[in-house]
Amino acid sequence: MNLWNWLALGGAAVMALTIVAEIRRHTRTSVAGRRFFRHPTATPGLFVLAFFVTVALAAPLVAPYRPYQQIDIDRLADHAPSTRFLLGTDPYSRDVWSRLVYGARISLGIGALAMVVAVTIGAAVGAVAGYLRRWVDPALMRLVDIGLAMPRMFAMLVVVALWEHLAVPVFVLLIGLTGWFATSRLVRAEVLSLREREFVSAARALGAGTGRVIFRHVLPNAAAPIIVSAALGIGNVMLLEAGLSFLGLGVPSPVPSWGNMIADGWHKMAVAWWSSTFPGLAISLVVMALNAVGDALRDALDPRREAA
Amino acid sequence: MTEPLLRVRDLQTYFVTEHGSGTARAVDGVSFEVQPGETLGIVGESGCGKTVTSLSILRLIPEPPGHIRPGSFIEFEGRNLLTLKPRELRAIRGNQIAMIFQEPMTSLNPVFTVGDQIAEAAIVHQRLSRRAARTRAIEMLRLVGIPDPEERVDHYPHQMSGGMRQRVMIAMALVCHPKLLIADEPTTALDVTIQAQILELLDRLQAELGMAVMLITHDLGVVAGSADRVVVMYAGQVVEQAPTPALFARPLHPYTEGLLASVPRLDAPPAREHGRLHGIPGQVPAATAWPDGCRFHPRCPYAWDRCRAEAPPLLDAGGGGDPGTHTVRCWLLTDPRRRTPHS
Repeated sequence: MNLWNWLALGGAAVMALTIVAEIRRHTRTSVAGRRFFRHPTATPGLFVLAFFVTVALAAPLVAPYRPYQQIDIDRLADHAPSTRFLLGTDPYSRDVWSRLVYGARISLGIGALAMVVAVTIGAAVGAVAGYLRRWVDPALMRLVDIGLAMPRMFAMLVVVALWEHLAVPVFVLLIGLTGWFATSRLVRAEVLSLREREFVSAARALGAGTGRVIFRHVLPNAAAPIIVSAALGIGNVMLLEAGLSFLGLGVPSPVPSWGNMIADGWHKMAVAWWSSTFPGLAISLVVMALNAVGDALRDALDPRREAA
Repeated sequence: MTEPLLRVRDLQTYFVTEHGSGTARAVDGVSFEVQPGETLGIVGESGCGKTVTSLSILRLIPEPPGHIRPGSFIEFEGRNLLTLKPRELRAIRGNQIAMIFQEPMTSLNPVFTVGDQIAEAAIVHQRLSRRAARTRAIEMLRLVGIPDPEERVDHYPHQMSGGMRQRVMIAMALVCHPKLLIADEPTTALDVTIQAQILELLDRLQAELGMAVMLITHDLGVVAGSADRVVVMYAGQVVEQAPTPALFARPLHPYTEGLLASVPRLDAPPAREHGRLHGIPGQVPAATAWPDGCRFHPRCPYAWDRCRAEAPPLLDAGGGGDPGTHTVRCWLLTDPRRRTPHS
C-alpha cells in the first residue's frame, strides 16, 4: 500500500459518508425516509454498502497491485498482513487486499445484476398472474411452486457441472432465472388487491389496454414489495455466488470473486488464516448490511408489516 | 326527435354468485336513450343497477362473474358496443365515451402526478408527445377551475382536497372531448358546497363542449338541478322515465312518489308522522331473488292482487309530447282509482 492507495481509501470512506448523508438529506422530508433512518441499523448498513460500492468502482486507485499479479511466488506467498500487504498475500503470492477490491466488482456486480434479472421476471410474472387471473394465474403459480420446491443450489450445480467453462454473464442469467419465484408471489399478492382499486377501472375507462394497465398503472403501485424483496434478495444471491465459486463452479479462477478467494486460501487456514478470512468477512459484512438495509426498507415502505 | 347518441335496449347484466346461490340479475332489461347534448339523470337507491348499467356501456363489467346477456343491445352512434373488438372498444373508451367515478379518493392513481393522469387519455388516443400532453393537462386543469394549474400539474393526488380531486377526475375524462360523459355519483363523496360547485362545473363544461351527460345519482336534488330527462331505476329495471319537470310535477310510479316524498323540505312543514321524515318501508330485495309480479309490490302502499301476480310493462303515460315521453312501469296506470293508499 502506498500513500496514494491510502488517500484513495480515505477518499472512498468520505465518499460513502457523503452518499449516506445526501440520501438522508433528500429523504428527510418524506415519512418513509424518516422511518427508514429511524431504524438503528439502516445508517451503518447503508454506509457499508456505499463504501464497498465506491471501493469497487475505484478499484484501480485503491488496489496497490493488479489482482492477477503473482508478486513473488518463492518468497512472498502467504505473507502475513503488513504495511506493504494490508491483508497479506495468498498462497500464490497475490495481494489479498487488491483481489478483495477487484473481487468486490465481481461479487457485488453479480449480486446486483442477477437480482435485476430475478426481480424483473418476478414482477412481470406476478403482475400478469395477479391481474389476469383466469387460467393464467393458476398456471403461472404452479410453475412458481415448482420453482420454489426446487433445491436451488443443487439445480445450479447440475447445470454448471454439465456446462463447462461457464461465461460470467450466463452465470448471472442462471442465478436470475432461478431466483424470481418468491418475488413473483409477493407481487401477485399485491396486485390481487390493487386490481380491485377504482383507479384501475378508471384507467380502463380511459381506453388503456391490458398491458398498459398492468405495467403502467398497477405495477408502480407494487414498488414497495419489489424493492424490499430485491434488497433482501441480493444478499442471498451473493451467498449463492460465493458458495458456487467456493466449490469451483461459479466464477472461474483467476478472476477474483470473494467465493473463490476463500477457496484459494482455505487449505492453508492453519498457517495463513488471512487469505480466506478477509474475503469471508467481506461477504458477511456486505450481506449483513444488505439485510439491515432491506429490513429498514421494509419497515419504511410497508408499514402494515411493522406490527407483525 | 333526432337520432339518439346512445341507445340502450333490453340490457341484461347478470352476475353468477360464487356460492351457487343463483344468478344476480343486477340489470334486467333496461332500455333508454341519450340524445346528443342532453343530460340524462339516472336515479335509484343503492343496488338498483345504476352503476352496473354504466359499467356495462363501457364493457367494464368484470367477466367472470358478470356477463352481459345475448339479446342486450347498446348502440353508440349507430355501432353496437357489445360486438366491438377489444381494440375498437378501447378507441371509444376515454375518447368518445368517458366516465367519472364516485370516489375521487380512490379513482386517482396515488403514484402518478395529476398531470400525468390527465395526459394519459390524450397520450393513449391522440399519441401526443409528453410535452404536448403536459401543456394539454395544464389547459384542462385551468378549464376545470383549479388555481395555479402550472404548479398543480406536478402535484400528487394526496396533495389535493376531495373537491379538487373530483375536478381532476373531470379533467381526465374530458381531455379528449368525449361526446358522452358518464358521471357515476360524481358528488356523493363530497360535501354539499363542493357538490354544488362540481355540478355547476359539469353544467358549464357540457354547454362549452356540447357533450351529452349521463348523470347517475341517488340524489333527486342533483337531478332536479341539472338533468333534462330522468330515468328512475328500481331492482334492475327502469320504473319511470320522464322529462325532469314532468317527473317532479307528476310522479306516477309509487316508487318515484316515495322518493320525492322522502326528500326533506325546508319550505313545506312536515305533514306526516309527527314531523318525521318520510321513508319507503322495507328495503331493496336481493338481486338473486326479485319478487314475482311487480318488483316493487312488497313495498308499495297501493299493491293489489294483480301487482303480486303479473309484472307490469312500461306503459305510456301520455302527458303531452310524443308517445314514450313519459313511461311508467305500474299497473296503476290502467286503474287510476286505486291511487288511494289503504292503511
